[in-house]
Amino acid sequence: MILAALLLVTQVATQDPRLERLDPDTRATVVAVLDSARDVGLPVEPIIQRALEGTTKGASGARIVAAVRRLAVDLGTARGALGTSASAPELEAAVAALRAGATPEVLAHLRDVRRPPLTIALSVLADLVASGVPADSAAAAVLALAPKARDADLVEFRRAVERDIALGAPPGAATSVRLNAGALDVYGTNSSSNNPNNPTRRSRP
Amino acid sequence: MFEREDETVERVIQQLRRPVAIDPGLDARVMREIAQVPFPKRRARLLLPLLAVAAVLATVLIVARPWIWNSASKTDALQFVLVAPQAASVALVGDFNDWDPARAPMQTAHGVWATVVRLAPGRYRYAFLVNGVEWRADPSAPAAKDDEFGTPSSVVTVGGRGS
Repeated sequence: MILAALLLVTQVATQDPRLERLDPDTRATVVAVLDSARDVGLPVEPIIQRALEGTTKGASGARIVAAVRRLAVDLGTARGALGTSASAPELEAAVAALRAGATPEVLAHLRDVRRPPLTIALSVLADLVASGVPADSAAAAVLALAPKARDADLVEFRRAVERDIALGAPPGAATSVRLNAGALDVYGTNSSSNNPNNPTRRSRP
Repeated sequence: MFEREDETVERVIQQLRRPVAIDPGLDARVMREIAQVPFPKRRARLLLPLLAVAAVLATVLIVARPWIWNSASKTDALQFVLVAPQAASVALVGDFNDWDPARAPMQTAHGVWATVVRLAPGRYRYAFLVNGVEWRADPSAPAAKDDEFGTPSSVVTVGGRGS
């Protein structure tokens, strides 16, 4: 009994203080999910952030628990596709890509054709789908550009597709048109590395 | 007075222009002296280990560069902007500040709310909290489609190779 109490005190003492913002029941379940994730070597920070997002947004405990459990599962799937050397940002981006509709096979293929880090490539894939591009078209485009395109080129590609869609182009067509133009940029002379509006260096997200 | 000075200068110039006879054995004597100066062995003894250490360090840096690069606290400063003329307060909350509205209040100028945040490479979810109650996504950033809490969020991806 005393030992159990001591263990409980120790657990509370070592618990992340940020989790105090969760109600006790939710916190206990989230801590269990975090422990499980930690045991299998998954990054826990994304899970903590998802729980904090939920509580700040006023979500119910059940919803928060469901979200963190789902995220833990998806992080595991992402790591299975990218390998144990994948970084936490890569795994987070991979989760976004998976949820956007990319398959684990696409992630594994990307890992094979592109030197790490894969964070930007995976994010671009997810963001393209979020813009309305069919998942298979987005995956094909990113995989086609991945071997040689720099991160800045991939971000510029995504922005170009988004601009075309905003102007009324069908998402799939915008992707294929920009893919051809992007290929010229990547392999030709019109690289975005000297572009002052380079999205990864600009002042706005 | 000026003529006298001119004569003096002229005499000096003549002296300087006079050919100087150099002992033909001078070069040989100088070189002999140089050859007899002992080589600074202490320096050499220090130099070799230093060169070895430098070589090892260079090798380590070359080999470990990708890991060092990945783990370095490289951050980008990003400005987040929301146009909300009617808002009394706007906070930027996201994965980068533990979704804590108190940690990122935004400043306004004529209804344009802005703040700058330094972010390490990664993908971050975030949203604007207007007047403490209304959640808004960033209209200039990709939307987070996997929002599970029923309010809009946006995504920003920072940094990376070749950027």
